[in-house]
Amino acid sequence: MADIEMEIDGKVVSAKVGEMLIKVTDREGVSVPRFCYHKKLSVAASCRMCLVDVEGAPKPQPACSTPVAQGMKVHTQNDKAKASQKAVMEFLLINHPLDCPICDQGGECELQDVAVEYGSDVSHFSEGKRIVSDSDIGALIQTDMTRCIHCTRCVRFGLEIAGMMEMGGTGRGEHLKIEPFLREGIQSELSGNMIDVCPVGALTSKPFRYELRSWQMNSIPSIARHDLVGSNLFVQTYKGKVKRIASADNDWINETWISDRDRFSYEGLTHKNRLLKPQIKVQGQWKQVSWKVALDYAVKGLNSHVLKHKKANQLGGLVSSTATMEELYLLKKILTEVGCDNIDHRLNIKNLDNIITLDSNIKLDALEKIDYALIVGANIRLEQPMINHRLRKATKKGADIDVLNVMEFDFNYPLNAENITAPNKIASTLAGVLKSIMTNNVQELPNYLATIEVDEVANNIAVKLLNSSSSVIILGEHIINNEDASAIANLATIIAQSTNSKTLNLSITANTIAANLVGFVPQNSGMDVNTMLASEMRGFILLDIYPQHDFHHLETVVKAFTPDDTFVISLNSFKDDIITGYSDVILPIASVYETSGTQFNVNNDMQSYTAAVKAPDEVKPAWKILKVMADLLELPGFHYADSTQVLAEISHQPHTKHTHDGHINFTNKHNGIGVIWQNSPYSIDAVLRHSSTLQKTKIGQMNSACMNQASAEILGLSNNDKYLGVPVVITDTVADDCVFINTNHAINIQEQA
Amino acid sequence: MISTGAKKQIDAWIAKYPKDRQSSAVMQALKIVQAENGNRLNADTIQAVADYLNMPGIAAQEVATFYENYNHKKVGKYVIRFCHNISCMLNGADDLIAHLENKLGVKTDEVTSDGLISVKKVECLGACVGAPMFQINDDYFENLTIDKIDKIVDNLK
Ligand code: SF4
Ligand code: FES
Ligand code: FES
Repeated sequence: MADIEMEIDGKVVSAKVGEMLIKVTDREGVSVPRFCYHKKLSVAASCRMCLVDVEGAPKPQPACSTPVAQGMKVHTQNDKAKASQKAVMEFLLINHPLDCPICDQGGECELQDVAVEYGSDVSHFSEGKRIVSDSDIGALIQTDMTRCIHCTRCVRFGLEIAGMMEMGGTGRGEHLKIEPFLREGIQSELSGNMIDVCPVGALTSKPFRYELRSWQMNSIPSIARHDLVGSNLFVQTYKGKVKRIASADNDWINETWISDRDRFSYEGLTHKNRLLKPQIKVQGQWKQVSWKVALDYAVKGLNSHVLKHKKANQLGGLVSSTATMEELYLLKKILTEVGCDNIDHRLNIKNLDNIITLDSNIKLDALEKIDYALIVGANIRLEQPMINHRLRKATKKGADIDVLNVMEFDFNYPLNAENITAPNKIASTLAGVLKSIMTNNVQELPNYLATIEVDEVANNIAVKLLNSSSSVIILGEHIINNEDASAIANLATIIAQSTNSKTLNLSITANTIAANLVGFVPQNSGMDVNTMLASEMRGFILLDIYPQHDFHHLETVVKAFTPDDTFVISLNSFKDDIITGYSDVILPIASVYETSGTQFNVNNDMQSYTAAVKAPDEVKPAWKILKVMADLLELPGFHYADSTQVLAEISHQPHTKHTHDGHINFTNKHNGIGVIWQNSPYSIDAVLRHSSTLQKTKIGQMNSACMNQASAEILGLSNNDKYLGVPVVITDTVADDCVFINTNHAINIQEQA
Repeated sequence: MISTGAKKQIDAWIAKYPKDRQSSAVMQALKIVQAENGNRLNADTIQAVADYLNMPGIAAQEVATFYENYNHKKVGKYVIRFCHNISCMLNGADDLIAHLENKLGVKTDEVTSDGLISVKKVECLGACVGAPMFQINDDYFENLTIDKIDKIVDNLK
């Protein structure tokens, strides 16, 4: 689009033909009031607040829907513009309750701000105002619909961004009302953004209701820690407590949206299950002690059980996926210094000889420009909401999306083909895709493809990949314990190479990428996690691990940690009976937003954050605890004053880069029922599991072992039974020979609480 | 929820619109479904229409609550839709509505005890030239007066 010149309030500016006037004024820093306009939503032009005077036009024009043209002269401040803005403001306030003193939006309200600027002191309207009744629309969003000014931002958000129209305008005229249908409540995994887009106090955060005024809080920029995206956000704090989370703009990462998971998880921080004081187990009795005593005890224990006997090879270090990069590095450094190579972060993988190695080589913002995606093994909408949002945008521009999953999931965009197949058929389907591609390219077929049959599904996917100019193959979490995991990943890599596609590895989550970068995997001939658990170990240092959620085989884990002569130091932020059972020392550590640290997202963007609040009571950031432990162990090289010095040291280390062996070995002979077991989307880490409001949502309640009738018969189960402790749901949306479990142990935590 | 007969009628409307634009038939579909469900709609029937047309329930609800020809409450055999919008109001609609209510012994949105007649106040029906006016089922009655209303209503059986 060509550049043009125009004038705004006497100043010459350049703009692009066809651009909406409000974009130009925003860019130029000229303030034009608005309600219905939102930069990421379609233009509704319904509120008329943005009226400005355009020379030559008889009537004032709405800036949000007036395309600019060469030579246009616009006045945003002259009498005509001001008079129109004032008139519109008066109209908008006719039915507004003007209840700012009891409104949560007060102080951060667009209506309030604009009214101060453009409103008059008295209204011509002296009739009765209308009142709108509210209904309960769910646990996360509070409504006060009498305040609604019908800008329809929330309606358009649902339709355009969340991909499910949940809010709508019902009735007409004076009876027009914004509400969801059927009182089912709002269900979208992105619903909290409606709170941000609502310019008034009609939609506000329910958990935050009547808590504080916005001006009482500090707003500290930070990074979301629950997925592979690392959405940018603001942590709003008051007197050292996190009170609310709001989204921050970052067009390369989360644009202007954050998922409900990132927005509401902070509630977990103040759950009564938080560990607040260091404690040690002396002769079977737990005692709360000072940090000094606890750390001395920990170091003494390590010395007497392990180091004194020169048994560092019987010491192990395990970490959770939410650890910061600095924590990972320090723990690794300590263990390396004492001569221990047994470290691992891959807690939930059953067979560590069969793992996924797959690059992520497409940027998040490039995802919305693809024309074809193949999703393998992911409930992507709930597992990685912001990445799903980018794909949704791509579909709106015409991209086709194929899915190869073990079960039908809810997508908020139309799929080209939703292929449901048993876990043990995924590898052969992908092999079929590769064979079809290679045949098409007249390439010589490798041996492992010789006996592969190319079925219609494989062929269709191959054709799509061959015909697309920018495609991506996405691997999700459901593959991690597939018996063909590594073959699937390698096939994906080769398919991508031969079709010029990108790949995206969503099989890992949170800060796992940082764990891989600092090399928190067995060093030299060290043991991996499964070997450690099967060996007789003398000691463990466990960083924020909750065995009943992080491992698939709780009993083995507990057995490995429990023996008397195994000295276990647990750094955790939440209480847990199982941990109390096997530990010798429990050190309370800072949780999200309470510590500084660094996060890596799926694009390898390194994002560091500072602590937004001080950890409660005697809780300390894990990196500090590890540093002091190193000092007490008299290890050299731990002179850090703050975590940025740790980070600086890490950046000078060579990063571990994984290599593809490219080896493909699958037998295509597995029989029996494949079980995919994972934490449901709102219970993937400890803070989330303690976020009481999120747990009340429909996604938070997900707790089911889904299987089809045939599998249920093989397993001898029916609808009211439990499978592996999870309620059975029989549904024909699951592939043959498969049980898909989404479990939420948090339900138990809530019940206990 | 939607009978085969109704589906056939709806399909005929869908066919009039471009492919994948079946939601354009929502007004007709609601009308058809309303007709076979005691001349009224409820959340279930609206959702059924939405599902049939592959549109969000709330979008169908928006239409069903915007237009006055959809009934959400029990109505009589004859529904008198009395316009009270500006032209009719200026020509005395409010008094006439009060008269009608008195005469029938019902308020707006109520049904006479014999189930014969119900009254609704509606927005402009596009017949301002004959204001004040009302509509009974599919017919318009214009230039209303108290006498005229009495005669029309007395003839309803
Ligand atoms: S609830 Fe808020 S966002 Fe939705 S229409 Fe009303 S004012 Fe706009
Ligand atoms: S912002 Fe332009 S009309 Fe609402
Ligand atoms: S105002 Fe009554 S028909 Fe138009």
